[in-house]
Amino acid sequence: MKGSSRLRRLLPYLAFTALALTLVACTGETTQYPNSTFEPKTELGRAIDDLWDILLLLGTIVFVLVELALAFVVWKYRNNKEAKHTHGNTKLEILWTMIPAVILVFIAVPTVRTIFETQAPAPGDALKVDVIGHQWWWEFRYPEYGVTTANELYLPVGRTVSFSLTTKDVIHSFWIPQMGAKRDLIANRTNYIWFTPDTAIAPSVWNGFCTEYCGTSHAFMRFRVFTVTPEQFESWVAGQKATAAFNAGPAAPAPSAPDSQPPAASPLDTNPPAQPIGPPTGTGTAQLAGGVAPGYFFPHESMPEYAVPQRPLPANISFTRGLTGDPARGQTAFMLGGCIGCHTVRGNPMAAGTIGPDLTHFATRHTLAGGTYPNTTDYLARWIKNARVMKPGSIMPTLGKGEYDPVLKRTAPVSLDDQQIADIVAYLQQLR
Amino acid sequence: MHYTATGLDNRKIAIWAFIGSECMLFMSLISTYLIYKGKSVVGPFPHEAWTDPMTGRVFHGILDIPVTSASTFVLLMSSLFMVLALAAVQNKHVPKHTTGDRILGSSRLWLFMTALAGTTFLGFQAFEFTSFVHEGLTIRRNLFGSTFFTLTGFHGAHVTAGVLWLLTLLAIDFKRGLTAADEMVVDMCALYWHFVDVVWIAIFTLIYLIR
Amino acid sequence: MTTAAITPHVTDYKTAGAYTGQKGIWSWLTTVDHKRIGKLYLFTALFFFMVGGLEAVVIRAQLGGPNRSLVSAEFYNQLFTMHGTTMVFLAIMPLSAAFFNFLIPLQIGARDVAFPRLNAFSYWVYLFGGIFITVPIFFALAPNGGWFGYTPLTTKAYSPGINIDFWVIGLLILGVSSLAAAFNFLTTIINLRAPGMTLMRMPMFTWMSFVVQFLLVLAFPVITIALVFLLFDRFFGTNFYTVTAGGDPLLWQHLFWIFGHPEVYILVLPAFGLVSELLPTYSQKPLFGYAVVVYSGILIGFLGFGVWAHHMFAVGMGPVADTVFSLTTMLIAIPTGVKIFNWIATVAQGKLKFTTAMLFALGLISLFTIGGISGIMHSSPPANLQQTDTYFIVAHFHYVLFGGSIMGIFGGIYHYFPKMFGRLMHEGLGKIHFWLTFIAMNLTFFPMHYAGLLGMPRRIYTYDANQGWDLFNAISTGGAYLLGVAIIVFIWNFLSSMKRGAIAGPNPWNAPTLEWSIPSPPPEYNFAQTPEVHSRYPMWDQRASDVDHPKVNLTEGKSPEQMGIIMPYNTIKPLVVALGLVVMFSGLIASRDPATGGSKPVLWVMFAGAAVMIGALYSWLLSPLEPEHHAH
Repeated sequence: MKGSSRLRRLLPYLAFTALALTLVACTGETTQYPNSTFEPKTELGRAIDDLWDILLLLGTIVFVLVELALAFVVWKYRNNKEAKHTHGNTKLEILWTMIPAVILVFIAVPTVRTIFETQAPAPGDALKVDVIGHQWWWEFRYPEYGVTTANELYLPVGRTVSFSLTTKDVIHSFWIPQMGAKRDLIANRTNYIWFTPDTAIAPSVWNGFCTEYCGTSHAFMRFRVFTVTPEQFESWVAGQKATAAFNAGPAAPAPSAPDSQPPAASPLDTNPPAQPIGPPTGTGTAQLAGGVAPGYFFPHESMPEYAVPQRPLPANISFTRGLTGDPARGQTAFMLGGCIGCHTVRGNPMAAGTIGPDLTHFATRHTLAGGTYPNTTDYLARWIKNARVMKPGSIMPTLGKGEYDPVLKRTAPVSLDDQQIADIVAYLQQLR
Repeated sequence: MHYTATGLDNRKIAIWAFIGSECMLFMSLISTYLIYKGKSVVGPFPHEAWTDPMTGRVFHGILDIPVTSASTFVLLMSSLFMVLALAAVQNKHVPKHTTGDRILGSSRLWLFMTALAGTTFLGFQAFEFTSFVHEGLTIRRNLFGSTFFTLTGFHGAHVTAGVLWLLTLLAIDFKRGLTAADEMVVDMCALYWHFVDVVWIAIFTLIYLIR
Repeated sequence: MTTAAITPHVTDYKTAGAYTGQKGIWSWLTTVDHKRIGKLYLFTALFFFMVGGLEAVVIRAQLGGPNRSLVSAEFYNQLFTMHGTTMVFLAIMPLSAAFFNFLIPLQIGARDVAFPRLNAFSYWVYLFGGIFITVPIFFALAPNGGWFGYTPLTTKAYSPGINIDFWVIGLLILGVSSLAAAFNFLTTIINLRAPGMTLMRMPMFTWMSFVVQFLLVLAFPVITIALVFLLFDRFFGTNFYTVTAGGDPLLWQHLFWIFGHPEVYILVLPAFGLVSELLPTYSQKPLFGYAVVVYSGILIGFLGFGVWAHHMFAVGMGPVADTVFSLTTMLIAIPTGVKIFNWIATVAQGKLKFTTAMLFALGLISLFTIGGISGIMHSSPPANLQQTDTYFIVAHFHYVLFGGSIMGIFGGIYHYFPKMFGRLMHEGLGKIHFWLTFIAMNLTFFPMHYAGLLGMPRRIYTYDANQGWDLFNAISTGGAYLLGVAIIVFIWNFLSSMKRGAIAGPNPWNAPTLEWSIPSPPPEYNFAQTPEVHSRYPMWDQRASDVDHPKVNLTEGKSPEQMGIIMPYNTIKPLVVALGLVVMFSGLIASRDPATGGSKPVLWVMFAGAAVMIGALYSWLLSPLEPEHHAH
């Protein structure tokens, strides 16, 4: 029979798919699959992965047996001349009620154990991090250190970190695939999750995502996790605790992007120079702290490819070439242009807005706009010019002169010309 | 009647299925009320007094149990009238000898009384809603207002539908007289009416009486 | 009604007879015949299936590579919301309803459903509701909160536009249709079974449909209330989901999934029922373990109400609740597994015939198994927390809903097409359709397992390069295009077979159940005389033994008048009531508030709709269903 031989041919195909899944499960590499759940880097991830191995093994066995049984009866009886009129068999029914029941016991027992293990209270000495979801960016607060950051999470390896999760608006979900497990951020509730990053992984960077649909730019609510050594973490904390290390002195390098630069092959080219890992200094105050070196942050040039956003420059936002920004003028524009209504720059008493991300140490960050774009001059200038084109639905208004605001559906009411934007870029790039 | 597998009228099966569905509807409404009980951020509250910290205005506990007990009694009586109305339709063919027989056997009277009691209940509810609004509880005010008005409003809408059904039956009765052939329709109406009553007992107990 | 024996009249019966039933558009608008309503459901649902499929193809085109911008984020969100909403409420449910309508009265030996006019009403509400919720996508105003519509995202504060209003009101309208149909079929199955058709003799499709009607009756009120709360919040400023007033965002999730999980079985059990008809027919032997399959179906339906929170493991319910819902979910695997084993045992020792319908039935077993296994994988909450809201879940439920429901429904269409239209579908094209579907389906959805476990979240309109997802997405997209080709083959086969297919005869498959004892297509009155049933497989047992054969109704296609059978009047009233209902609801969003971009109720539209609805309803209820019966 034609049909049955086709079904027979199907069998190796089905077996292959199961095998392939198993292979990926075993061999996924961080570089090739940077967000793999098969390569857990915490005890939480490993607890889940151990459970997953049981599930995958039993699932594969059941899959193979059921498909084999199906293929076998189809093949065996493909040319059967006479059907045997059986109505059932009680023993068989009992047997195949028991088989899944027994398999499920093997799944249920470790499941329940893992549930209680992973949801036990976090150790008392855990690092506390408050995660606050916003449409569409992440606010991370370290209450023990008084540090607030956005879209970038620094974690010391070897120390348990306990997250408490809340949201300013709709439901979001916090997920770092390689760290294991996700948890929702829900208004009027606080959720918890904790894990301990392996000591072997410092320093490295991981991708995080929002996994609960949260509106227009749900796709652009990403974050980066930097697992660093305890010393690097201390240094980073000290640097972040300090108020903005803004030096109004020398002019910053000019943003000089050509209008339609091809999708940044190496978007790091125009980065501010990477900061050496320096000792914490920590006590400078904003405008006065000329020349103060910031604490540790993850070197821009060490960012692995998977952590650098590849999203091309938006073609429909042009920017004048060859402008040189002046940070001092930029600071003024930052204050007068309305930026301070939403953003905090500690050390600048006027800039205390809480709607948008805290920008105190903006220049230490690697990405823009909820992990969507690399934090480089070209992207930053266009972001300020028309954030709503770069990130649909964004609350950050369209600010560029003559730019069309896709939310208000008219030309931007506030308008900054390219020179002012270049100045603001220069100012922001000084905030280390 | 057509042949049926159970011997019951199709409509009888359907009205029971409908009532089963309605049970889930009211369970969802009542559960929501209970889940949100005591969760309102601002007053007024069902039982306790509340002082607005901004204005100093004092809101008393909203629910007025004596008044609602009266309306509950009226609704319960309507169920009795409904029983009498159904019996009257079922016994159309039985000869009536005494005045008492004729009164008991008057489907018009009892349908009218049921509808009247239902309307009275609705009148009580209208009064209750109006006075609650005057006391500061609107459907927008707080969780209590939202859940309370939605739950009792849904019930009130069901009573209204029942009254319309009763009045339609009454109109038919006046026009051509309900006969034994109409028994099933009156029976369905009665089942629905008793169900709506039972739901009110649940609401009255869970929302009004239990603090 | 009397039942009388008439001798089987199985000849080389080649045509559907002289009398071919009513004709003309008006007859379709006013029909109360369950078979014609079933066909209306089938055509409409296939249309919406293609709309939903087209949405899926655009979604896959957008996701075919990283950082694509074929559609905007706003439009993508409308696409995936409408894809889910369309497939669940406008395609799979009504495709099942098409079979409920066409088959249940035939399978139980009834002349029609219990309430023919209510049946027409259900269809018209579905049609108008479907149009209501689908049209906005052509103006980029479609619902954009996901098919699950989580609050507070769908509240006015975060979705001020008109989009969500279409969704809330559309689903309320469709709920009316589903509930009305459920009351109808519940009554039909309980009450209109022919003499001798005991519950345990009912065909398995009717059995599974019976379970589904209970689920509909009990689950839809819950979503109705959840939607009413959302409607009140959006239009009247109530606080059910208002965070600042103390509202709990999880209230919606609980109500939605108390409906939503039974809904999964509402979608899949009819397909299970169809497969349980197909496998015995094409194996020419009775369903293995009939009683066990019945009980497992009941158990699945029952347990389906106790597992809803497994959709919510990530919300942080605590270890005890996680454990309870995890274990109840695992329990469902047992009756489901039992069903699969019984199907395989049905095939064993059979005289197999590999028709297209049989291939789809076998395809369902092999594909649904994958969906079932991945389902077990995320019934375990810790594993679930790595999988939920990733493409792994997307893969899982497409194996359940495409591999389960759609494969079963396609099988059912090939199997019952001859009964519906009197002609056979083309088997060669059918097999091409099957193999294209089977391969494309796996190409589309299997790689999603990988993408999900490798970290790709759901519902994102684009993703970055270098994440290790490109290959899997490219394969999925290619598979989706191929699925589109498969559907074109199917539609071509369907339409051309309606005109040119081979004449089928009453029982082309030598199937065992009552619907095959009458001509294809069946006359308006189905059974000239109510059959008397003596076994589960009357058409087979009549050959196996001469003692207990059923009465067969192969008349020569005469009109009801010629047969002296009283049929219900055609009536337009159910359509008018449905129209009034939808107009009344539309009044809520008949105008747009220029200040907020949101909708503004227009009272006179609502009142006009209500007046039409109530007027037509009274007229309907006070008019007789059919001419008076005269004593014979």
